[in-house]
Amino acid sequence: MGRSKIDLAIFVAKRVVWFIPVLLGLITITFFAGHASVRNPCAVWVGPHASPDTVQSCIQYFGVNQPVWDQYKNYIANLFQGNWGKDPQGGTPVLPVILTLFPATIELLVSALFLMIVVGIPLGVIAANNSGRWPDHLVRLFYLGGWATPAYLGAVVLAIGIGPVLGLPNSSDFSSTPDPGWQITHMSVLDSILRLDGAAFVDAIVHLILPSTALAFLNLGIATRMTRSSMLEVLPLDYVKTARMKGLSDFWVLYKHALRNSLISTVTVLGTTAGSLLSWIVVVEEIFLWPGIGKYAFESILSYNFAGTLGVVIFFAIVVVIANLISDVLYGVLDPRVEWR
Amino acid sequence: MEPLLRVEHLSLDYEVGAGTFHALRDVSFEMMPGRVVGIVGETGCGKSTLGQAIPRLLPEPPARIREGRVVFQGTDLLSVPKWKMPLVRGTSIGMIFQEPINSLNPAYRVSDQLMEAVRIRKFRESGETEVFRPAEGFDYSKDRPVDPKEAMGRTFLPSPPAARSAGARRGSEELRIDALEYLRLVRINDPETILDLFPHELSGGMRQRIMIAMALSEKPTLLIADEPTSALDITIQAQVLTLMKELMDEVHTSILFISHDLGVIAEMADDIGVMYAGSIVEFGPVGEVFDRPAHPYTKALLKSVPNRYKEDGVLPSLPGSVPNLSRLPSGCPFHPRCVFARPPCEPDPGPSLEPVKGAPVGGGHRAACYYSDEVFRLP
Repeated sequence: MGRSKIDLAIFVAKRVVWFIPVLLGLITITFFAGHASVRNPCAVWVGPHASPDTVQSCIQYFGVNQPVWDQYKNYIANLFQGNWGKDPQGGTPVLPVILTLFPATIELLVSALFLMIVVGIPLGVIAANNSGRWPDHLVRLFYLGGWATPAYLGAVVLAIGIGPVLGLPNSSDFSSTPDPGWQITHMSVLDSILRLDGAAFVDAIVHLILPSTALAFLNLGIATRMTRSSMLEVLPLDYVKTARMKGLSDFWVLYKHALRNSLISTVTVLGTTAGSLLSWIVVVEEIFLWPGIGKYAFESILSYNFAGTLGVVIFFAIVVVIANLISDVLYGVLDPRVEWR
Repeated sequence: MEPLLRVEHLSLDYEVGAGTFHALRDVSFEMMPGRVVGIVGETGCGKSTLGQAIPRLLPEPPARIREGRVVFQGTDLLSVPKWKMPLVRGTSIGMIFQEPINSLNPAYRVSDQLMEAVRIRKFRESGETEVFRPAEGFDYSKDRPVDPKEAMGRTFLPSPPAARSAGARRGSEELRIDALEYLRLVRINDPETILDLFPHELSGGMRQRIMIAMALSEKPTLLIADEPTSALDITIQAQVLTLMKELMDEVHTSILFISHDLGVIAEMADDIGVMYAGSIVEFGPVGEVFDRPAHPYTKALLKSVPNRYKEDGVLPSLPGSVPNLSRLPSGCPFHPRCVFARPPCEPDPGPSLEPVKGAPVGGGHRAACYYSDEVFRLP
């Protein structure tokens, strides 16, 4: 216990080790829930007009008639060898698909989180600093509006209502699909920076605006509300008065002295929000035709693609764990009294 | 001589859900340069409110100044636009708070916080920012619209751009040397180590020393000390008081010393103001007020100091309790508990602070009681 780099490394290593049983449990639950809910996936896989023989051969081929427990053991054994299974309909292996799709999702997730931070946190500071007056009411109206809007509705309004008015494109009309050979990270913004391609960069940003705004606006309330309430707790404290009495201007008092201590709770909440953003991402990607993992998850579930669904679950779990780990580490960075343990 | 600080008929309310609390009622007093003025009173009598109302530190709302003036070096601070107040704070009016546990920011090292204060002073001394210079006479009657960018830029503290590139390192080293000097000034033995610690790694007495160093490092003309020793245990309290007394001789600063402890005030202050229910009921030189109080409340307060009461028996205490500030009795707020109370004490308005008859002329001994001369003449 302490605050040295070694303590931090031990802390992170412990969390990573703990993640393994959590992940195994998650895979088990998803696997059995998925298989228990569908009696005969082959009927879907071969299509409605297939002959009974085709269905029979499908059942034989995929081993659907085997005990679920055996199927589970098979899956886990394959997983440990790096084989994440295949899409039964197209035969595409799951892992490569996820690896090519996830950067786009991460890009969307990070830009939404970025918007939540750069818009949500200052809004919370403004609201707290003017608590009870009109800026506070306005901010609260704004974030409650976002919070109360269902994701599908907000995203649809942005996609077909506001987007076209502002002349913003959907992902469906990507003007310059980049040369696949040039896709280094599969993140459009990062790729364009790496290629030093200005036009592609602008294009990528323009395409990101709508989906990330949809995702951010709907979840902005959490960052704003947490910041506002913890700022209200911090502002009457003596050290804020000390900062004021030093002769610092309001800007520095608020953003250097008060916000630093309020951010501790905001960061914790943002860490958990990153996880729940993933569930919104499925809807948002489908609406904006964003070529990410959310869209793949949506399609996998609809087509009883068990391997694909499980792959997405594993991927989401990893993201949630990393997000929480980052927020825990930031927690310690922000508050010097925290010890790694 | 022009007084450094003149508070005139200051009245302040707190407007909260439960009602309006008259935290300050018609408070008037003067402070001469170089003097230490002590303010005593019970918990909840408005001492801290007064201390924070002078540099306008109270959030409005809930606080609301009903009337009055706070004239500091010839300028009425209440008419200074709000965004200019940071320029008054720090280098003109400094402050030390009661709880050393809460008064340092837990997220920053001592060096960050102390060097920040030194930097503000240096920045203002260098003339790169407008400083509160009352000598030039501000014309605040023409309140120009606030330009937030400008307001922020004025007190924009991080080292000026020129210093950042070339001598940033040297600049911050200079600040550090200055900060170390102030830590030594408050008798911290190992300033190099202390400077790199976080507040939670320090004891209460140490933190209060750092607070004092921080306030003094800006060389304020007026230092407001709001119960600086009340949260410390008795030995540390004595150390901090001794330190402050020594520093008073070294750093000629006028101090407004707020405390509930009569002993501390007797030791520290030149003048004393006794507060009761939001107003100053007696004001005058410490020796005189302590020897011959002219207000029944002061008299009762002095009687109930334990170390003055040597015989065995019950410690004299004042009957009744402090009135609720939202429902004050009419007339003199003290009359329900006063042994001298007579019919004229009750009607509105109550007595105001007036020179005590019979007290030495020019001493400035004043009391807010219709029978102050009577109380004054009592043994």
